[in-house]
Amino acid sequence: MEFFQNILNYFQTGFHDTFIAQSRYMLFIRGLGNTILIAIFATLIGVVLGILVAIVRVYSGQTGKLKWLDRICALYLTIIRGTPTLVQLLIAYFMVFAWIDNVILVCTIAFGINSGAYVAEIVRGGILSVDKGQTEAGRSLGLSASTTMRSIVLPQAFKSCLPSLGNEFITILKETSIAGYIGAMDLTKAADLVRSRTYDPFFSLITIALIYLVIVIGMNAAFKALERRLAKSDRR
Amino acid sequence: MIDVKNLDKHFGDNYVLKGINEHIEKGEKVVIVGPSGSGKSTFLRCLNLLETPTGGEIWFEGEEITDPKCDIDKLRQKMGMVFQHFNLFPHLTILENITLAPVKLKLMTKEQADENAMRLLTRIGLADKADTYPSMISGGQKQRIAIVRALAMNPDVMLFDEPTSALDPEMVGEVLALMKELADDGMTMVVVTHEMGFAREVATRCLFMDEGRIMEQAPPDEFFTSPKNPRLQDFLSKVL
Repeated sequence: MEFFQNILNYFQTGFHDTFIAQSRYMLFIRGLGNTILIAIFATLIGVVLGILVAIVRVYSGQTGKLKWLDRICALYLTIIRGTPTLVQLLIAYFMVFAWIDNVILVCTIAFGINSGAYVAEIVRGGILSVDKGQTEAGRSLGLSASTTMRSIVLPQAFKSCLPSLGNEFITILKETSIAGYIGAMDLTKAADLVRSRTYDPFFSLITIALIYLVIVIGMNAAFKALERRLAKSDRR
Repeated sequence: MIDVKNLDKHFGDNYVLKGINEHIEKGEKVVIVGPSGSGKSTFLRCLNLLETPTGGEIWFEGEEITDPKCDIDKLRQKMGMVFQHFNLFPHLTILENITLAPVKLKLMTKEQADENAMRLLTRIGLADKADTYPSMISGGQKQRIAIVRALAMNPDVMLFDEPTSALDPEMVGEVLALMKELADDGMTMVVVTHEMGFAREVATRCLFMDEGRIMEQAPPDEFFTSPKNPRLQDFLSKVL
């Protein structure tokens, strides 16, 4: 009986210390807000950057034009994919964007630039998977190269790379957990702060693990639903 | 309508077209036959610059389309093309396949394009397929939709690149029938095909291509009954 009483006590005080005392739940909420903020805008930057880089690479590969821009893109991919994200984040914070005061903004840009490289390769693979006849059909109707790309090739490319893209977005969300390294108050940093005050790792760390898990499961479900919707033209 | 002067095309060391001269009049139905690798598809694809010629000139309705300053997108609107593998847009419905180009190019409003597309679909008896996707219809239906998609632009000439070669035999007939109907309506047509029956019946002129050159051309009667070029005689003896 006493054993259960002890456990109950531990949970009560642990819960109280971690969330209630000094309104620490606010730290978690603020951290979650920042994590979501960084993840969403980094994803947006990554998608825009990635699509642009992918189009440049495909266009240059097919026509032989824009050679110098293609080289810059290739260099970007090599550097970003060849160095750890954390190192990139530190370089962004202490060197490249040292003039920006807002640490959340620096994180967003750094993660966005990082993600752009991965999105670019995913989208490039998607574009190349679209049959050349699609482009020819579009152009033969008098559509310009860019309209053909936008209305015919990209929608099909998007569909074929959606699973990998979903994976990449999930990766971005989880990678934001290193933002605390440069002092950004994200979800992980918030939990770590609470842990260091309460001397009890259990509640704070398990809590954020669950939060990340729930978000990822939600994202997964959303992507599955989107895939199903886009697959309706495949039905026979 | 189409003037081809000294057209050359090579892929690296592979000379596919060797100085082709050809003149196609409005209303003609020109059928190009020849063994595979003779350059007939490449020739057809050069006419709307899907392949860029490496030499020579192509004129269409008084404009030199091989001139780098020429707005090829504008001229392609007047040259419909039908492909061996249909190349319908799988992510769009049949109706959207047909209306995409006229609407994007602001030639018609959405309503006009829909109406025009439905009229064309009704004509080929596929109006009930308007809201389905290309994956749900047969090859013959796909190719007829592809023809209609090109027609929706009101082209002055239609280019056909082996339109029946990827079809199951029982579907060839419906596609050829639609092409014949088009021909009867006075459409200018350039057709690369292996369908000798179609050539004989519909063509106003047959061309025989081999090794990147036009070896012989004649009205279909003469072309099939008294071929002069020994290569053509040999070719016809194998396919007829």
